[in-house]
Amino acid sequence: MNDYVLRTNHLTKKYKKDIALNNVNVSIKRGEIYGLIGRNGAGKSTMLRLITGLAFPSGGSIELFGKIQPNVAIDAQKRMGAIIEQPALFPNMSAYENLEVHRLQKGIPGRECIDKTLELVSLMDTGKKKVKNFSLGMKQRLGLAIALLSDPEFLILDEPTNGLDPMGIVEMRELIKRLNREKGVTVLISSHILSELHQLATNFGIIHQGQLIEELTTTELDEKCRQHLRIKVDNPTMGATVLEQQLSTTDFEVMQDGTLKLYNYLDDVRTVSRALTNHGLTILHLSQNGDSLESYFSKLVGGEEND
Amino acid sequence: MTNLIKAEMFKLQRNRTFWALIATVAGLSTFLHYLVIIDWWQMHGTVFDRAGLSELDALSTFTVPLFFNLIVSTLAGFFISIEFSNSGVIRNQIISGHKRSHIFIAKLLVFSLGSIIVTVLIPVITAIIIAILFGQGDGLSLTHAMYLGRAYGLFTLQFLAFASIIMLLAIITGDQGKTIILSILFTIAMFAVEKLSKPFFLEMVYENTIFYQFTEVFQLTMTNGEIMKSIIIGVLSCMMISLCGILVFNRKEIK
Repeated sequence: MNDYVLRTNHLTKKYKKDIALNNVNVSIKRGEIYGLIGRNGAGKSTMLRLITGLAFPSGGSIELFGKIQPNVAIDAQKRMGAIIEQPALFPNMSAYENLEVHRLQKGIPGRECIDKTLELVSLMDTGKKKVKNFSLGMKQRLGLAIALLSDPEFLILDEPTNGLDPMGIVEMRELIKRLNREKGVTVLISSHILSELHQLATNFGIIHQGQLIEELTTTELDEKCRQHLRIKVDNPTMGATVLEQQLSTTDFEVMQDGTLKLYNYLDDVRTVSRALTNHGLTILHLSQNGDSLESYFSKLVGGEEND
Repeated sequence: MTNLIKAEMFKLQRNRTFWALIATVAGLSTFLHYLVIIDWWQMHGTVFDRAGLSELDALSTFTVPLFFNLIVSTLAGFFISIEFSNSGVIRNQIISGHKRSHIFIAKLLVFSLGSIIVTVLIPVITAIIIAILFGQGDGLSLTHAMYLGRAYGLFTLQFLAFASIIMLLAIITGDQGKTIILSILFTIAMFAVEKLSKPFFLEMVYENTIFYQFTEVFQLTMTNGEIMKSIIIGVLSCMMISLCGILVFNRKEIK
Protein backbone atom coordinates (compact mmCIF):
# COMPACT_ATOMS: atom_id res chain seq x y z
CA MET A 1 0.00 0.00 0.00
CA ASN A 2 1.36 3.39 -1.01
CA ASP A 3 2.02 5.57 2.02
CA TYR A 4 2.00 8.76 0.02
CA VAL A 5 -1.25 10.42 -0.89
CA LEU A 6 0.46 13.10 -2.92
CA ARG A 7 3.91 13.45 -4.39
CA THR A 8 4.95 16.10 -6.84
CA ASN A 9 8.07 15.66 -8.87
CA HIS A 10 9.72 18.85 -10.15
CA LEU A 11 6.29 20.36 -10.62
CA THR A 12 6.55 23.49 -12.72
CA LYS A 13 4.01 25.95 -14.05
CA LYS A 14 4.85 28.74 -16.44
CA TYR A 15 2.59 31.48 -17.76
CA LYS A 16 4.38 32.82 -20.83
CA LYS A 17 7.53 34.30 -19.27
CA ASP A 18 6.38 34.11 -15.65
CA ILE A 19 7.24 31.06 -13.61
CA ALA A 20 4.43 30.55 -11.11
CA LEU A 21 5.81 27.28 -9.75
CA ASN A 22 9.37 26.09 -10.14
CA ASN A 23 10.50 22.48 -9.60
CA VAL A 24 8.37 21.87 -6.55
CA ASN A 25 8.74 18.51 -4.82
CA VAL A 26 6.14 17.97 -2.13
CA SER A 27 5.38 14.69 -0.40
CA ILE A 28 2.31 14.18 1.76
CA LYS A 29 1.87 10.95 3.65
CA ARG A 30 -1.44 9.37 4.54
CA GLY A 31 -2.91 10.92 7.69
CA GLU A 32 -0.87 14.11 7.61
CA ILE A 33 -2.23 17.62 7.80
CA TYR A 34 0.09 19.51 5.52
CA GLY A 35 0.08 23.28 5.85
CA LEU A 36 1.17 25.21 2.80
CA ILE A 37 2.50 28.60 3.81
CA GLY A 38 3.28 31.40 1.44
CA ARG A 39 2.63 35.02 0.67
CA ASN A 40 0.06 36.18 -1.85
CA GLY A 41 1.24 35.17 -5.30
CA ALA A 42 3.79 32.72 -3.91
CA GLY A 43 2.27 29.90 -5.94
CA LYS A 44 0.08 28.16 -3.34
CA SER A 45 -3.17 28.36 -5.29
CA THR A 46 -1.37 27.51 -8.54
CA MET A 47 -0.05 24.37 -6.92
CA LEU A 48 -3.48 23.40 -5.61
CA ARG A 49 -5.04 24.08 -9.04
CA LEU A 50 -2.49 21.78 -10.66
CA ILE A 51 -3.14 19.02 -8.14
CA THR A 52 -6.89 19.25 -8.63
CA GLY A 53 -6.61 19.27 -12.43
CA LEU A 54 -7.96 22.78 -12.94
CA ALA A 55 -4.71 23.77 -14.62
CA PHE A 56 -1.99 21.79 -16.36
CA PRO A 57 1.66 21.60 -15.40
CA SER A 58 4.31 22.97 -17.74
CA GLY A 59 6.76 20.43 -16.38
CA GLY A 60 7.14 17.69 -13.80
CA SER A 61 4.49 15.29 -12.62
CA ILE A 62 1.88 14.74 -9.94
CA GLU A 63 1.40 11.42 -8.19
CA LEU A 64 -1.94 11.04 -6.45
CA PHE A 65 -2.60 7.86 -4.46
CA GLY A 66 0.37 6.26 -6.21
CA LYS A 67 -0.87 6.98 -9.70
CA ILE A 68 1.33 9.16 -11.85
CA GLN A 69 -0.26 10.95 -14.69
CA PRO A 70 1.14 13.75 -16.72
CA ASN A 71 -1.96 15.86 -16.40
CA VAL A 72 -4.80 14.81 -14.18
CA ALA A 73 -5.31 11.62 -12.25
CA ILE A 74 -9.05 11.27 -12.89
CA ASP A 75 -9.61 8.15 -10.75
CA ALA A 76 -7.59 9.58 -7.89
CA GLN A 77 -9.67 12.75 -7.99
CA LYS A 78 -12.74 10.75 -7.05
CA ARG A 79 -11.06 10.16 -3.69
CA MET A 80 -10.49 13.87 -3.13
CA GLY A 81 -12.51 16.83 -1.98
CA ALA A 82 -11.39 20.40 -2.46
CA ILE A 83 -12.12 24.07 -2.03
CA ILE A 84 -9.94 26.15 -4.31
CA GLU A 85 -9.88 29.90 -3.69
CA GLN A 86 -13.47 30.81 -2.81
CA PRO A 87 -16.19 28.13 -2.52
CA ALA A 88 -17.90 27.50 -5.84
CA LEU A 89 -21.65 27.61 -5.23
CA PHE A 90 -24.92 28.13 -7.09
CA PRO A 91 -26.18 31.43 -5.63
CA ASN A 92 -29.83 30.85 -6.53
CA MET A 93 -30.02 27.45 -4.89
CA SER A 94 -30.32 26.51 -1.23
CA ALA A 95 -27.54 24.72 0.63
CA TYR A 96 -29.46 21.45 0.23
CA GLU A 97 -29.86 21.95 -3.53
CA ASN A 98 -26.19 22.81 -3.92
CA LEU A 99 -25.29 19.55 -2.26
CA GLU A 100 -27.88 17.68 -4.33
CA VAL A 101 -26.13 18.84 -7.54
CA HIS A 102 -22.89 17.40 -6.25
CA ARG A 103 -24.53 14.24 -5.00
CA LEU A 104 -25.97 13.62 -8.46
CA GLN A 105 -22.66 14.50 -10.08
CA LYS A 106 -20.74 12.04 -7.95
CA GLY A 107 -23.46 9.40 -8.17
CA ILE A 108 -23.81 9.02 -4.41
CA PRO A 109 -26.90 6.87 -3.69
CA GLY A 110 -29.54 8.21 -1.27
CA ARG A 111 -29.98 11.71 0.07
CA GLU A 112 -29.02 10.87 3.67
CA CYS A 113 -25.46 12.03 3.02
CA ILE A 114 -26.76 15.57 2.40
CA ASP A 115 -28.40 15.90 5.83
CA LYS A 116 -25.39 14.29 7.46
CA THR A 117 -22.95 16.68 5.80
CA LEU A 118 -25.10 19.75 6.48
CA GLU A 119 -25.21 18.75 10.14
CA LEU A 120 -21.44 18.28 10.16
CA VAL A 121 -20.89 21.89 9.03
CA SER A 122 -23.77 23.30 11.13
CA LEU A 123 -25.94 24.37 8.20
CA MET A 124 -28.93 22.17 9.00
CA ASP A 125 -31.27 25.05 9.76
CA THR A 126 -30.74 27.10 6.59
CA GLY A 127 -33.84 25.57 4.98
CA LYS A 128 -34.77 27.16 1.66
CA LYS A 129 -32.58 30.21 2.17
CA LYS A 130 -30.70 30.94 -1.04
CA VAL A 131 -26.93 30.78 -0.96
CA LYS A 132 -26.70 34.37 -2.28
CA ASN A 133 -28.13 35.46 1.07
CA PHE A 134 -25.56 33.49 3.08
CA SER A 135 -22.77 35.17 5.03
CA LEU A 136 -19.20 34.58 3.87
CA GLY A 137 -18.68 32.18 6.74
CA MET A 138 -21.76 30.15 5.81
CA LYS A 139 -20.54 29.99 2.22
CA GLN A 140 -17.17 28.71 3.42
CA ARG A 141 -18.90 26.04 5.48
CA LEU A 142 -21.07 25.02 2.53
CA GLY A 143 -17.96 24.86 0.35
CA LEU A 144 -16.45 22.51 2.91
CA ALA A 145 -19.67 20.47 2.95
CA ILE A 146 -19.40 20.00 -0.82
CA ALA A 147 -15.81 18.90 -0.45
CA LEU A 148 -16.81 16.44 2.29
CA LEU A 149 -19.95 15.06 0.64
CA SER A 150 -18.32 11.96 -0.82
CA ASP A 151 -16.24 11.11 2.28
CA PRO A 152 -12.92 12.01 0.65
CA GLU A 153 -9.63 10.44 1.73
CA PHE A 154 -7.73 13.56 0.76
CA LEU A 155 -9.00 17.05 1.43
CA ILE A 156 -7.51 20.12 -0.25
CA LEU A 157 -8.44 23.41 1.34
CA ASP A 158 -7.29 26.75 -0.01
CA GLU A 159 -7.69 29.45 2.64
CA PRO A 160 -10.70 27.76 4.25
CA THR A 161 -10.94 30.20 7.15
CA ASN A 162 -11.37 33.26 4.90
CA GLY A 163 -14.35 35.24 6.10
CA LEU A 164 -14.96 33.15 9.19
CA ASP A 165 -15.44 34.82 12.57
CA PRO A 166 -13.23 33.69 15.48
CA MET A 167 -15.77 31.06 16.54
CA GLY A 168 -16.08 29.88 12.97
CA ILE A 169 -12.30 29.53 12.73
CA VAL A 170 -12.21 27.42 15.88
CA GLU A 171 -15.09 25.25 14.62
CA MET A 172 -13.41 24.79 11.25
CA ARG A 173 -10.14 23.84 12.94
CA GLU A 174 -11.85 21.35 15.23
CA LEU A 175 -13.77 19.86 12.30
CA ILE A 176 -10.61 19.35 10.24
CA LYS A 177 -8.82 17.83 13.24
CA ARG A 178 -11.78 15.54 13.90
CA LEU A 179 -11.90 14.37 10.27
CA ASN A 180 -8.19 13.71 10.38
CA ARG A 181 -8.34 11.90 13.73
CA GLU A 182 -11.53 9.89 13.32
CA LYS A 183 -11.62 9.20 9.59
CA GLY A 184 -7.92 9.42 8.81
CA VAL A 185 -8.51 12.11 6.19
CA THR A 186 -5.27 13.52 4.82
CA VAL A 187 -5.43 17.29 4.53
CA LEU A 188 -3.52 19.79 2.41
CA ILE A 189 -4.36 23.25 3.63
CA SER A 190 -3.08 26.65 2.63
CA SER A 191 -3.55 29.71 4.75
CA HIS A 192 -2.17 33.13 5.50
CA ILE A 193 -3.05 32.81 9.15
CA LEU A 194 0.14 31.19 10.31
CA SER A 195 -0.88 30.83 13.95
CA GLU A 196 -4.01 29.05 12.75
CA LEU A 197 -2.00 26.65 10.60
CA HIS A 198 0.42 26.11 13.46
CA GLN A 199 -2.41 24.79 15.64
CA LEU A 200 -3.64 22.47 12.92
CA ALA A 201 -0.88 21.15 10.69
CA THR A 202 1.48 18.28 11.36
CA ASN A 203 3.78 19.24 8.51
CA PHE A 204 4.59 22.47 6.77
CA GLY A 205 5.76 23.49 3.35
CA ILE A 206 6.95 27.03 2.89
CA ILE A 207 6.59 28.30 -0.63
CA HIS A 208 8.07 31.52 -1.91
CA GLN A 209 8.20 32.94 -5.42
CA GLY A 210 7.12 29.59 -6.85
CA GLN A 211 9.71 27.55 -5.01
CA LEU A 212 9.35 25.28 -2.02
CA ILE A 213 12.02 26.71 0.23
CA GLU A 214 11.49 24.54 3.29
CA GLU A 215 9.55 21.49 4.42
CA LEU A 216 9.41 20.67 8.11
CA THR A 217 7.34 18.97 10.77
CA THR A 218 5.60 20.77 13.63
CA THR A 219 8.28 19.53 16.03
CA GLU A 220 11.03 20.90 13.81
CA LEU A 221 9.22 24.18 13.44
CA ASP A 222 8.65 24.47 17.18
CA GLU A 223 12.28 23.76 17.70
CA LYS A 224 13.28 26.51 15.30
CA CYS A 225 10.91 28.97 16.85
CA ARG A 226 11.87 28.16 20.44
CA GLN A 227 13.34 31.04 22.45
CA HIS A 228 17.01 30.51 23.35
CA LEU A 229 20.27 32.18 24.18
CA ARG A 230 22.73 32.03 21.34
CA ILE A 231 26.24 31.87 22.77
CA LYS A 232 29.51 31.84 20.92
CA VAL A 233 32.65 31.28 22.98
CA ASP A 234 36.28 30.63 22.04
CA ASN A 235 36.06 27.04 23.37
CA PRO A 236 32.66 25.47 22.77
CA THR A 237 33.50 22.15 24.46
CA MET A 238 34.53 23.96 27.61
CA GLY A 239 31.46 26.18 27.31
CA ALA A 240 29.19 23.13 27.23
CA THR A 241 30.90 21.71 30.31
CA VAL A 242 30.42 24.98 32.17
CA LEU A 243 26.73 25.07 31.31
CA GLU A 244 26.31 21.50 32.46
CA GLN A 245 28.35 21.70 35.64
CA GLN A 246 28.04 25.29 36.79
CA LEU A 247 24.50 26.04 35.67
CA SER A 248 23.21 22.47 36.10
CA THR A 249 21.38 22.43 32.77
CA THR A 250 21.25 19.99 29.91
CA ASP A 251 18.68 21.95 27.96
CA PHE A 252 21.12 23.22 25.38
CA GLU A 253 22.55 22.23 22.03
CA VAL A 254 25.97 22.53 20.48
CA MET A 255 25.58 23.46 16.86
CA GLN A 256 27.95 22.39 14.09
CA ASP A 257 29.64 25.80 14.00
CA GLY A 258 30.27 25.59 17.74
CA THR A 259 27.45 27.91 18.71
CA LEU A 260 25.66 26.97 21.92
CA LYS A 261 21.86 27.22 22.03
CA LEU A 262 20.70 27.45 25.62
CA TYR A 263 16.97 27.09 26.14
CA ASN A 264 16.77 28.24 29.75
CA TYR A 265 18.23 31.07 31.80
CA LEU A 266 16.51 33.38 29.32
CA ASP A 267 15.80 35.90 32.06
CA ASP A 268 19.17 35.53 33.71
CA VAL A 269 21.76 36.27 31.05
CA ARG A 270 24.14 37.80 33.62
CA THR A 271 24.52 34.47 35.49
CA VAL A 272 25.31 32.70 32.23
CA SER A 273 27.94 35.22 31.13
CA ARG A 274 29.52 35.30 34.60
CA ALA A 275 29.75 31.50 34.71
CA LEU A 276 31.45 31.41 31.32
CA THR A 277 33.91 34.26 31.96
CA ASN A 278 34.77 32.89 35.42
CA HIS A 279 36.11 29.82 33.67
CA GLY A 280 38.36 31.85 31.42
CA LEU A 281 36.13 31.69 28.35
CA THR A 282 35.85 34.64 26.01
CA ILE A 283 32.31 35.39 24.94
CA LEU A 284 32.31 36.24 21.25
CA HIS A 285 28.56 36.53 20.91
CA LEU A 286 25.60 36.38 23.28
CA SER A 287 22.08 37.15 22.23
CA GLN A 288 18.54 36.09 22.86
CA ASN A 289 17.05 34.44 19.79
CA GLY A 290 13.96 32.57 18.74
CA ASP A 291 11.09 33.53 16.51
CA SER A 292 7.40 33.60 16.50
CA LEU A 293 6.01 31.60 13.59
CA GLU A 294 5.38 34.85 11.75
CA SER A 295 8.89 36.21 12.19
CA TYR A 296 10.43 32.85 11.30
CA PHE A 297 8.39 32.78 8.12
CA SER A 298 9.18 36.40 7.45
CA LYS A 299 12.92 35.79 7.79
CA LEU A 300 12.74 32.78 5.54
CA VAL A 301 10.99 34.54 2.69
CA GLY A 302 13.06 37.67 2.83
CA GLY A 303 11.07 39.67 5.37
CA GLU A 304 10.27 43.30 4.93
CA GLU A 305 12.27 43.80 1.78
CA ASN A 306 9.57 41.91 -0.06
CA ASP A 307 6.70 43.74 1.46
CA MET B 1 -21.84 10.18 -17.68
CA THR B 2 -25.42 9.44 -16.55
CA ASN B 3 -24.62 11.11 -13.22
CA LEU B 4 -23.40 14.21 -15.02
CA ILE B 5 -26.51 14.37 -17.20
CA LYS B 6 -28.73 14.01 -14.11
CA ALA B 7 -26.83 16.84 -12.41
CA GLU B 8 -27.12 19.05 -15.49
CA MET B 9 -30.87 18.34 -15.71
CA PHE B 10 -31.24 19.30 -12.06
CA LYS B 11 -29.41 22.57 -12.73
CA LEU B 12 -31.48 23.31 -15.84
CA GLN B 13 -34.71 22.79 -13.92
CA ARG B 14 -33.54 25.33 -11.34
CA ASN B 15 -32.15 27.81 -13.84
CA ARG B 16 -34.14 31.04 -13.63
CA THR B 17 -33.07 32.20 -17.09
CA PHE B 18 -34.43 28.98 -18.60
CA TRP B 19 -37.86 29.54 -17.05
CA ALA B 20 -37.81 33.26 -17.90
CA LEU B 21 -37.05 32.36 -21.54
CA ILE B 22 -39.84 29.77 -21.59
CA ALA B 23 -42.30 32.35 -20.24
CA THR B 24 -41.10 35.06 -22.65
CA VAL B 25 -41.11 32.85 -25.73
CA ALA B 26 -44.49 31.33 -24.82
CA GLY B 27 -45.96 34.81 -24.29
CA LEU B 28 -44.42 36.23 -27.44
CA SER B 29 -45.39 33.23 -29.54
CA THR B 30 -48.97 33.29 -28.25
CA PHE B 31 -49.20 37.01 -28.92
CA LEU B 32 -47.75 36.83 -32.44
CA HIS B 33 -49.91 33.87 -33.45
CA TYR B 34 -52.97 35.56 -32.06
CA LEU B 35 -52.19 38.69 -34.10
CA VAL B 36 -51.82 36.55 -37.23
CA ILE B 37 -55.05 34.66 -36.57
CA ILE B 38 -57.13 37.80 -36.03
CA ASP B 39 -55.55 39.17 -39.23
CA TRP B 40 -54.06 42.15 -37.41
CA TRP B 41 -50.65 41.00 -38.61
CA GLN B 42 -50.79 39.80 -42.16
CA MET B 43 -47.78 37.86 -43.30
CA HIS B 44 -47.53 36.79 -46.90
CA GLY B 45 -45.18 34.53 -48.76
CA THR B 46 -43.89 32.70 -45.72
CA VAL B 47 -42.93 29.04 -46.00
CA PHE B 48 -45.93 28.13 -43.85
CA ASP B 49 -48.19 30.15 -46.12
CA ARG B 50 -46.96 28.20 -49.11
CA ALA B 51 -47.55 24.96 -47.22
CA GLY B 52 -51.16 25.94 -46.58
CA LEU B 53 -50.50 26.62 -42.91
CA SER B 54 -51.02 30.38 -42.92
CA GLU B 55 -52.34 30.25 -39.35
CA LEU B 56 -48.86 29.25 -38.29
CA ASP B 57 -47.20 32.10 -40.21
CA ALA B 58 -45.76 33.65 -37.05
CA LEU B 59 -43.66 30.52 -36.60
CA SER B 60 -41.37 31.80 -39.35
CA THR B 61 -40.12 34.46 -36.91
CA PHE B 62 -38.77 31.71 -34.68
CA THR B 63 -36.84 30.03 -37.49
CA VAL B 64 -34.64 33.04 -38.26
CA PRO B 65 -31.12 32.61 -36.80
CA LEU B 66 -30.87 36.31 -35.96
CA PHE B 67 -33.90 35.90 -33.72
CA PHE B 68 -33.47 32.49 -32.16
CA ASN B 69 -29.80 33.20 -31.52
CA LEU B 70 -30.89 35.76 -28.93
CA ILE B 71 -32.69 33.01 -27.04
CA VAL B 72 -29.99 30.37 -27.38
CA SER B 73 -27.09 32.67 -26.53
CA THR B 74 -28.92 34.01 -23.47
CA LEU B 75 -29.43 30.46 -22.24
CA ALA B 76 -25.79 29.62 -23.03
CA GLY B 77 -24.62 32.68 -21.15
CA PHE B 78 -26.66 32.04 -18.05
CA PHE B 79 -26.47 28.24 -18.05
CA ILE B 80 -22.95 27.51 -19.33
CA SER B 81 -20.70 30.59 -19.18
CA ILE B 82 -21.87 31.63 -15.73
CA GLU B 83 -20.34 28.46 -14.32
CA PHE B 84 -16.93 29.64 -15.50
CA SER B 85 -17.27 33.23 -14.33
CA ASN B 86 -19.43 34.36 -11.40
CA SER B 87 -19.97 31.20 -9.41
CA GLY B 88 -16.97 29.21 -10.64
CA VAL B 89 -18.90 25.99 -10.02
CA ILE B 90 -17.22 24.38 -13.01
CA ARG B 91 -14.27 23.87 -10.63
CA ASN B 92 -16.30 21.48 -8.49
CA GLN B 93 -17.33 19.52 -11.55
CA ILE B 94 -13.75 19.09 -12.75
CA ILE B 95 -12.52 18.20 -9.26
CA SER B 96 -15.32 15.61 -8.97
CA GLY B 97 -13.23 13.19 -11.02
CA HIS B 98 -15.04 13.01 -14.35
CA LYS B 99 -13.37 13.20 -17.73
CA ARG B 100 -13.59 16.66 -19.19
CA SER B 101 -15.00 15.25 -22.43
CA HIS B 102 -17.85 13.65 -20.45
CA ILE B 103 -18.52 16.92 -18.64
CA PHE B 104 -18.66 18.74 -21.97
CA ILE B 105 -20.97 16.19 -23.60
CA ALA B 106 -23.35 16.19 -20.61
CA LYS B 107 -23.52 19.98 -20.70
CA LEU B 108 -24.01 20.03 -24.47
CA LEU B 109 -26.82 17.45 -24.35
CA VAL B 110 -28.75 19.24 -21.62
CA PHE B 111 -28.09 22.69 -23.07
CA SER B 112 -29.29 21.48 -26.49
CA LEU B 113 -32.39 20.00 -24.91
CA GLY B 114 -33.10 23.27 -23.10
CA SER B 115 -32.54 25.25 -26.30
CA ILE B 116 -34.85 22.99 -28.31
CA ILE B 117 -37.57 23.27 -25.68
CA VAL B 118 -37.40 27.07 -25.66
CA THR B 119 -36.75 27.73 -29.34
CA VAL B 120 -38.56 24.92 -31.14
CA LEU B 121 -41.09 23.17 -28.92
CA ILE B 122 -42.64 26.15 -27.13
CA PRO B 123 -43.33 28.17 -30.33
CA VAL B 124 -44.70 25.12 -32.19
CA ILE B 125 -46.92 24.00 -29.29
CA THR B 126 -48.28 27.49 -28.64
CA ALA B 127 -48.85 27.98 -32.40
CA ILE B 128 -50.87 24.77 -32.63
CA ILE B 129 -52.87 25.57 -29.47
CA ILE B 130 -53.67 29.10 -30.69
CA ALA B 131 -54.59 27.77 -34.13
CA ILE B 132 -56.94 25.21 -32.56
CA LEU B 133 -58.48 27.68 -30.10
CA PHE B 134 -58.82 30.76 -32.26
CA GLY B 135 -58.27 29.52 -35.82
CA GLN B 136 -60.70 28.94 -38.60
CA GLY B 137 -61.02 25.30 -37.70
CA ASP B 138 -59.01 24.07 -40.67
CA GLY B 139 -57.08 21.70 -38.49
CA LEU B 140 -53.94 19.89 -39.38
CA SER B 141 -54.21 17.41 -42.20
CA LEU B 142 -51.87 14.43 -42.45
CA THR B 143 -49.97 16.21 -45.26
CA HIS B 144 -49.52 19.27 -43.04
CA ALA B 145 -48.38 17.14 -40.13
CA MET B 146 -45.91 15.33 -42.38
CA TYR B 147 -44.58 18.63 -43.69
CA LEU B 148 -44.17 20.03 -40.18
CA GLY B 149 -42.60 16.78 -38.96
CA ARG B 150 -40.06 16.69 -41.78
CA ALA B 151 -39.27 20.42 -41.66
CA TYR B 152 -38.92 20.62 -37.90
CA GLY B 153 -37.06 17.30 -37.72
CA LEU B 154 -34.41 18.61 -40.10
CA PHE B 155 -34.50 22.07 -38.52
CA THR B 156 -33.83 20.54 -35.09
CA LEU B 157 -30.85 18.67 -36.50
CA GLN B 158 -29.34 21.90 -37.87
CA PHE B 159 -30.31 23.62 -34.65
CA LEU B 160 -28.29 21.08 -32.62
CA ALA B 161 -25.20 22.04 -34.63
CA PHE B 162 -25.99 25.71 -34.00
CA ALA B 163 -26.36 25.03 -30.26
CA SER B 164 -22.92 23.35 -30.39
CA ILE B 165 -21.43 26.53 -31.89
CA ILE B 166 -22.97 28.68 -29.16
CA MET B 167 -21.81 26.20 -26.51
CA LEU B 168 -18.29 26.39 -27.97
CA LEU B 169 -18.41 30.19 -27.74
CA ALA B 170 -19.68 29.97 -24.17
CA ILE B 171 -16.79 27.67 -23.20
CA ILE B 172 -14.18 29.83 -24.94
CA THR B 173 -15.34 33.12 -23.45
CA GLY B 174 -16.47 31.84 -20.04
CA ASP B 175 -18.49 35.01 -19.64
CA GLN B 176 -22.22 35.63 -20.15
CA GLY B 177 -21.91 39.04 -21.80
CA LYS B 178 -19.15 38.03 -24.18
CA THR B 179 -21.04 34.87 -25.18
CA ILE B 180 -24.15 36.83 -26.08
CA ILE B 181 -22.28 39.59 -27.93
CA LEU B 182 -20.02 37.23 -29.87
CA SER B 183 -22.90 34.98 -30.91
CA ILE B 184 -24.88 38.00 -32.11
CA LEU B 185 -21.88 39.16 -34.14
CA PHE B 186 -21.48 35.65 -35.50
CA THR B 187 -25.09 35.39 -36.65
CA ILE B 188 -24.95 38.89 -38.14
CA ALA B 189 -21.86 37.80 -40.07
CA MET B 190 -23.66 34.68 -41.34
CA PHE B 191 -26.69 36.83 -42.25
CA ALA B 192 -24.40 39.15 -44.21
CA VAL B 193 -22.81 36.20 -46.00
CA GLU B 194 -26.31 34.99 -46.93
CA LYS B 195 -27.48 38.34 -48.27
CA LEU B 196 -24.37 39.67 -49.97
CA SER B 197 -23.22 38.49 -53.36
CA LYS B 198 -20.29 36.18 -53.01
CA PRO B 199 -17.80 34.33 -55.17
CA PHE B 200 -18.79 30.92 -56.48
CA PHE B 201 -16.57 29.03 -54.06
CA LEU B 202 -17.94 30.88 -51.03
CA GLU B 203 -21.49 30.38 -52.34
CA MET B 204 -20.84 26.65 -52.63
CA VAL B 205 -19.42 26.48 -49.11
CA TYR B 206 -22.32 28.48 -47.70
CA GLU B 207 -24.88 26.21 -49.35
CA ASN B 208 -23.38 23.34 -47.42
CA THR B 209 -23.71 24.95 -44.03
CA ILE B 210 -26.43 24.73 -41.40
CA PHE B 211 -27.25 28.41 -41.98
CA TYR B 212 -28.37 27.72 -45.53
CA GLN B 213 -30.19 24.62 -44.32
CA PHE B 214 -32.22 26.63 -41.80
CA THR B 215 -34.14 28.03 -44.80
CA GLU B 216 -33.94 24.99 -47.06
CA VAL B 217 -35.55 22.56 -44.63
CA PHE B 218 -38.81 24.54 -44.75
CA GLN B 219 -39.17 24.15 -48.53
CA LEU B 220 -42.56 22.72 -49.39
CA THR B 221 -41.03 19.79 -51.17
CA MET B 222 -37.65 18.23 -50.76
CA THR B 223 -36.22 15.33 -52.71
CA ASN B 224 -34.76 12.36 -50.89
CA GLY B 225 -31.33 13.55 -51.94
CA GLU B 226 -31.93 16.99 -50.44
CA ILE B 227 -33.20 15.45 -47.22
CA MET B 228 -30.14 13.20 -47.05
CA LYS B 229 -27.86 16.15 -47.75
CA SER B 230 -29.52 18.14 -44.98
CA ILE B 231 -29.13 15.24 -42.54
CA ILE B 232 -25.46 14.79 -43.43
CA ILE B 233 -24.73 18.53 -43.06
CA GLY B 234 -26.51 18.65 -39.71
CA VAL B 235 -24.91 15.49 -38.29
CA LEU B 236 -21.39 16.24 -39.56
CA SER B 237 -21.53 19.88 -38.40
CA CYS B 238 -22.78 18.80 -35.00
CA MET B 239 -20.05 16.19 -34.64
CA MET B 240 -17.23 18.42 -35.84
CA ILE B 241 -18.21 21.40 -33.70
CA SER B 242 -18.72 19.18 -30.65
CA LEU B 243 -15.29 17.66 -31.21
CA CYS B 244 -13.80 21.16 -31.39
CA GLY B 245 -15.64 22.00 -28.17
CA ILE B 246 -14.21 18.93 -26.43
CA LEU B 247 -10.68 19.80 -27.61
CA VAL B 248 -11.04 23.38 -26.39
CA PHE B 249 -12.50 22.31 -23.05
CA ASN B 250 -9.80 19.66 -22.55
CA ARG B 251 -7.12 22.33 -22.89
CA LYS B 252 -8.91 25.07 -20.97
CA GLU B 253 -7.38 26.10 -17.69
CA ILE B 254 -10.02 26.94 -15.12
CA LYS B 255 -9.50 30.19 -13.25
